[in-house]
Amino acid sequence: MSVLPPFELVRPPDLGGALEALSADHLPYAGGTELLLAMRQGLLRPAALVDLKGVRELSGISVIDGSIVIGGAVTHRTASHAGEVRASLPALAEVLQRVGSPRVRSVGTLGGNLCFAEPKSDVATILIALGAEVELASTDGARVMPVADLLAGPYTTVREENELLTSISVPVVDDRKVVYEKFQTMERPTVAVAGVAEPDGSRRVVVGAVGGRPETFAIGPDGHDPEEIEESLEIFPDLTGTESYKRHIVSLLLARVVRRLGWTT
Amino acid sequence: MTDVTLTTQINGRPQTATIAPRLSLAEFLRDGLGLTGTKLSCEMQVCGACTVLVDGLPVSSCNYLAADVDGREVLTIEGLATGPELHPIQKAFIDKFAMQCGYCTPGFVMMTKALLDEVADPSTDEIADHFEANICRCTGYQPIVAAVREAASLIREDR
Amino acid sequence: MKGVSAGNAVPRVDARDKVTGAARFAIDFSTAGMLHGKVVRSTRAHATIRAISKDAALAVPGVAAVVTGSDLEGLFPRFGHVVADHPILALGRVRYFGEPVALVIGTSPHAAADGGEKVEISYDDLPTVMTPHEAMADGAPLLHDEEYAQGDRSFAEARSERKLSNLAHEAILGWGDVDSAFQEAAVVVESQVHFPMLYAYAMEPYNAVAAFDDGTLEIVSTAQHPFQVRDDLARVFGLPLNRVRVRSPLLGGGYGSKSYTKVEPLAAVGAWATGQPVRVALDVEESILTTRADSATIDVRTGLDKEGRILARDFDILFNTGAYVDNGSLVLAKAVHRCMGPYRIPNLRVRGRAFYTNTVPSSSYRGFGAPQGTFAGETNLDRAADKLGLDPAEVRRRNLVRPGERHLPGKRGMDADLIADLDIVVEKLGWGQESPPGRGIGFACSASDAGAFPVSTATVRLLADGSVMVLTGSTEMGQGSRTALAQIAATELGIDLDRVRVVQSDTFGTPYERTTGASRTTTLTGLAVQRACREALRQLEEIGAELMECRIEEVKTAEGVVAGPDREIGFDVAVQDWFGGRQGEVVGHGVVRRAGELEELPPFWEIGMVGVDVSVDRDSGRVTVEHLVTVGDVGYAINPALVEGQDLGAATQGLGMALYEQLIYDGPQLVNPNIVEYRVPRMVDMPSQIDCVIVERSDGVGPYGAKGGGEGSLNPVAAAVTSAVARAIGIWPDRLPLTPEAVWELMNKREESDGDEVTDA
Repeated sequence: MSVLPPFELVRPPDLGGALEALSADHLPYAGGTELLLAMRQGLLRPAALVDLKGVRELSGISVIDGSIVIGGAVTHRTASHAGEVRASLPALAEVLQRVGSPRVRSVGTLGGNLCFAEPKSDVATILIALGAEVELASTDGARVMPVADLLAGPYTTVREENELLTSISVPVVDDRKVVYEKFQTMERPTVAVAGVAEPDGSRRVVVGAVGGRPETFAIGPDGHDPEEIEESLEIFPDLTGTESYKRHIVSLLLARVVRRLGWTT
Repeated sequence: MTDVTLTTQINGRPQTATIAPRLSLAEFLRDGLGLTGTKLSCEMQVCGACTVLVDGLPVSSCNYLAADVDGREVLTIEGLATGPELHPIQKAFIDKFAMQCGYCTPGFVMMTKALLDEVADPSTDEIADHFEANICRCTGYQPIVAAVREAASLIREDR
Repeated sequence: MKGVSAGNAVPRVDARDKVTGAARFAIDFSTAGMLHGKVVRSTRAHATIRAISKDAALAVPGVAAVVTGSDLEGLFPRFGHVVADHPILALGRVRYFGEPVALVIGTSPHAAADGGEKVEISYDDLPTVMTPHEAMADGAPLLHDEEYAQGDRSFAEARSERKLSNLAHEAILGWGDVDSAFQEAAVVVESQVHFPMLYAYAMEPYNAVAAFDDGTLEIVSTAQHPFQVRDDLARVFGLPLNRVRVRSPLLGGGYGSKSYTKVEPLAAVGAWATGQPVRVALDVEESILTTRADSATIDVRTGLDKEGRILARDFDILFNTGAYVDNGSLVLAKAVHRCMGPYRIPNLRVRGRAFYTNTVPSSSYRGFGAPQGTFAGETNLDRAADKLGLDPAEVRRRNLVRPGERHLPGKRGMDADLIADLDIVVEKLGWGQESPPGRGIGFACSASDAGAFPVSTATVRLLADGSVMVLTGSTEMGQGSRTALAQIAATELGIDLDRVRVVQSDTFGTPYERTTGASRTTTLTGLAVQRACREALRQLEEIGAELMECRIEEVKTAEGVVAGPDREIGFDVAVQDWFGGRQGEVVGHGVVRRAGELEELPPFWEIGMVGVDVSVDRDSGRVTVEHLVTVGDVGYAINPALVEGQDLGAATQGLGMALYEQLIYDGPQLVNPNIVEYRVPRMVDMPSQIDCVIVERSDGVGPYGAKGGGEGSLNPVAAAVTSAVARAIGIWPDRLPLTPEAVWELMNKREESDGDEVTDA
C-alpha cells in the first residue's frame, strides 16, 4: 500500500477564512481526486490543505443574468444532476456525467478539475467551447476571465497562490447547438472535440486532450477548414497515441462534429 | 501534524475518533475499525475495490480522507446486510457466481447498491457506464452483469 | 440424494464470506505489535551501490530499523527455487530499476514510508542490457558473474549448465530432419512475432506478515505455493522445515504471478532484524516491479505439403526474462513444449533461449509460455493455410493428433478429441460463411503439458459428529478449489456438502502440496482427496466389522452410513462407538506421486480451443470482439459453473493480452506500472455474445475422468484474435497488443504496399 505524506488540515467556515488561509504551501482542497493522488505520488508536498467543502459560498448553482453560475466546489455529480444544467446546458451535463467514474464524480469538483489543468480534461474542453468564465478571488479582490485564459499549459494555470476559483459562469444561449465527440481507449481520452454553432451563424470547435491545453478554432466559411485545424495543432505524443495517430483521430472527430452539426465545409 | 477529531456513523453506528489528517478512509476503516471487507488495490481511485458509500454516494476510500466523513454516514460491505439475512445484491452475486477470488467483490457489491438506489431497472448500457472503471480480473464480468440484473429484479420484487 | 455433489453447479462455499466482507485475505491478517516495512527501491537499472546512509531514516519518529543487504550476515541472502540468484535485498549491486535495496521498518505504514524517503543511496552506474539482443551481443555486460545454487531434480527441465553469460536458460526439443523436410515441402511459411511484456494484475498486491516465535518462522502471505516458499525460507534462515510455517489464506487473484517466493523473505528479514512481527504490503506499482510475464520474439517456419499436412516446423524463441530467473526458465521450457501445437509433426526443431536483462524479473503467468508460443505457431499455420488456399480449419483437422496419439515422443498420448472440439468452435462462429467487410473470424488451439510434476497429498478427517475436514496444501485463489474439493469429498463419502469443510495451505496444518498452478488442483489434489476419502472409508469398514462382529467384506459404506449384514450406523456413531464416547476421529490420507497412471507425463493435456468474431472500425482501428467461443475440454466438470468461470476469465485475460496490455520500458524504467496506463479488460470490452461450451468425455486421469482447466481458454486467444483481425483488415499483424493505433497503422501499411495477402477460406 502507499500512504499520503503528512499535512495539516485547515477547515475555514467561509470564503473569507478560506482566502486568508491560502498560500504557496496551503493548497485549496475539495474532492482531492487529483490533489491527493499527486501527493501520494510525491509530486506535491503541501504543508496544509485548505478544505473548501464547508465553504457555503462555493457550493451553489444559480442563474444570474442569463448565465448558470456553478460554485467552484460543486461536484461533477451535483452539477450534472442539477435541473438548470440539464435543461439549459445539456452538453455540459452529458460531459460531466462521463467524467472519471461515479466515484470520481461523487467527490470531484469543477473548480478542482479546472485548477489542476490536466491537459486531457473534458471539463475544460466543454467549458471553453461554451464560453464559460471563471472568477478568481483573493483577499485583494476578484477577477473574471474566460476558462481558456485560466489554463496556461499542462498542469499550470494563471491562478495565483492566494487565489481561489470561486465560480464558473456558463452563458445560456438560446438556439445554440453544441456537440461533443471523444475517442478514448485508455483511462483518459486520446482526443476530444467540442463543436458549437451559435445562433448568429458563427461556428467554432475546441480540440482537447492532444496538447498542453484545449485549443479553440473558428471553423467554416469565416474560419478554418478541418484540415488546417488538424495541421496547426500542437500535439503531444503519449501512451494514448503517437502524434500522427492523434492527428488522424482529430480529423476523424472534426468530421463527425461537422456532420452532426449539419455543416458543410 | 495536528490530529483532527471526527464524528461519524459507520454502518449505522456512531463513531468518534481522533486521527491524523493524512489517514485515508480505507486505512481508518481497515486498520482503525477492523472493517477489512473494504479492499485496497490500485490506490488510484480507478479500480473500485475500495468503494464505500458516503451519504449514499460511492467513493473510492483509498483516495478519500477519513477526516472528510466527519458529520457524514458511511456504509461499508459489512453494513449492507442488516441481520443474518443477506441483502438481495449479495444473494444475486452468490447465485450468479459473480466472484472468483473475491477481492474486488465488496467494491462491485457496493457499486451495485449505489446504482440500484438510483435506477431500479438499469439497462445494459447503464450498467456498463456505471461499472466503467471497476476492475475484476477473474470473471470476465458477464456473471457480474447477470448478478446486477438479478439483484435489481429481487429488489423490485421485494417492494 | 445425499452426496451427489460432483457434477453440479453448487454455489461456491466461499461465496457468502466474499459478499459480506468476512473473507480474509493475507492483507487482512495482523498481529499484536506488528511493525510495517517499506521497501526502498533502486532508481538505477544496473549499478554498484557505493554507499547507503540510514541515519536520516532512523531519525524519523516511529522508524525502528533499516535493513540492507549488508545486514544479512549469517543468512543465506538469496532465494529462487530453480536458481538461487535473487537477493532478498541488493547485495552491493542492483540489476533493475525498482529492485529492493533497503527495508525501512516503522511502527506504522506512515512512519515506514516517511523513513523510506530519507534513506540515501549512492550508485556507480554500470552499462545495461534491456533486450535479449543486447544481452547476447558480443561484449555485453554480464548481469551475473557467479554461479548459484540450483533447484532439485523435479525442476530438471528448467535447469541448465550455465556458462557465465547472459543466457539464463536454453531449452531444445526436436526430432527428424527439418531442413530436408523443408526442401520437400510445397510451401514453407516463415513469420516472426513479438509478444509484449505483461503483468498478471492480480487485484491483491503482494503482501506478507512474518514473525519469529520460539525459534519458528511464521508467515502469512499471498503465496500460491506455500510449501515452495517454506523451502526457500528454510534455506535463508538455516531452519529445518518443521520450523517454518507458511500460510496462504484466500488469495486476491494469482494467475501464476504469486507462484514461488516473492515478498516473504523481505517480511521475514524484517522480523529477524527487529524481533517483532513485520508486514510488507506492496502497492500495485511495486508489485509490477516484483514480477511480470516474459516478453518474447519468436521466429517460426512451417513446411507443408500441398494437402496441408505439416512436414516440419522450426521455432526459435527468445525470452526477455529479466534480472533474476524466478520461474522464467520453466516458463521457457514450457513454451518450447507448447509452441508447436498438438499436431503430427514428423520433423521438429525448437530452440528456446531466455536472457537475463536489466528489467523486472519475469515468472509464471497463466498459460505459462503457451500464449507466447501459440501466438507464434497458430498465426503461422493460418498464414500457411492462406498460402495453400486451404481452409485453416481443415488444415488443422488434417494435422491434429487423434485421441491416444502422441505428438511429443515420450509424453502421454492425447487425452482429448481435438477435432470434435475444433468443430464446436467453427460451428458456433459460423465459419465458412463470408464475413461482412471489417469483420473477421479467427480460431486457434493449443495443448499444454499441464499438471506440473505430480506430487499431492491430502488428509480427510472424519470427526466424531460425522462432519468432515479435508486438509490440503492447495491454495484457493478464486478458481474454486475449496468448492470443487469439497464436492469430491462429499461425493466420495456420500454425505451432504455442508458437512464438509476444506482447510487449505498451512505448512503446519495441511499436508504437502507441490504447487497450485498448471491447472492441476482438480485433477491431482482431487485424486489425493479421493484417495484419502477411500482410505477413510476403508478404515470405517474395519471399524464397522469390529463393531458389528462381521467380516469386513460384509460391510458397506454409502450415504454416510456404515452398513453391516444386520444393522447400519452413521459415520458419527461408528467413530463414537469405536473410540468409546463422543470423541475420536478417522483419518484417511491420500497420496499422489509420479507412479501408476501418473507415471507418464504430463498428467493430462490441457486443451485450449477458442475462436472469436471481431469487427474493426476502419476509421480508428479499434477492434471489438463481437463473439467469443471457448471449449472447456475438462473430461468431467466437477462444478460446471466453476469451469465456465475459469474459461471466461481465462479468455478475458487472453483478450487483454491480444488487444490492450503491454508493459513499456523507455530506457531503464517502466513507464506504465499502474492501472491508468496499463489497461486491462473492463466490463465495456466484453463481447456481446459469449459461448463457453463444456465438453465432458471422461478422458482425464482425475476424479470421474476430470482433467484440468483454467489456462486452456487463455492460451490460443491472442492467436485467434490476431487471425480474426488479419482477415478483417487484409494484413497480418506481427505483434501485440492490437491497439487501435497498431491496427490503424497496419491498415495504412496495407494501403501503401501489398503486404501479406490475406484471403478468407
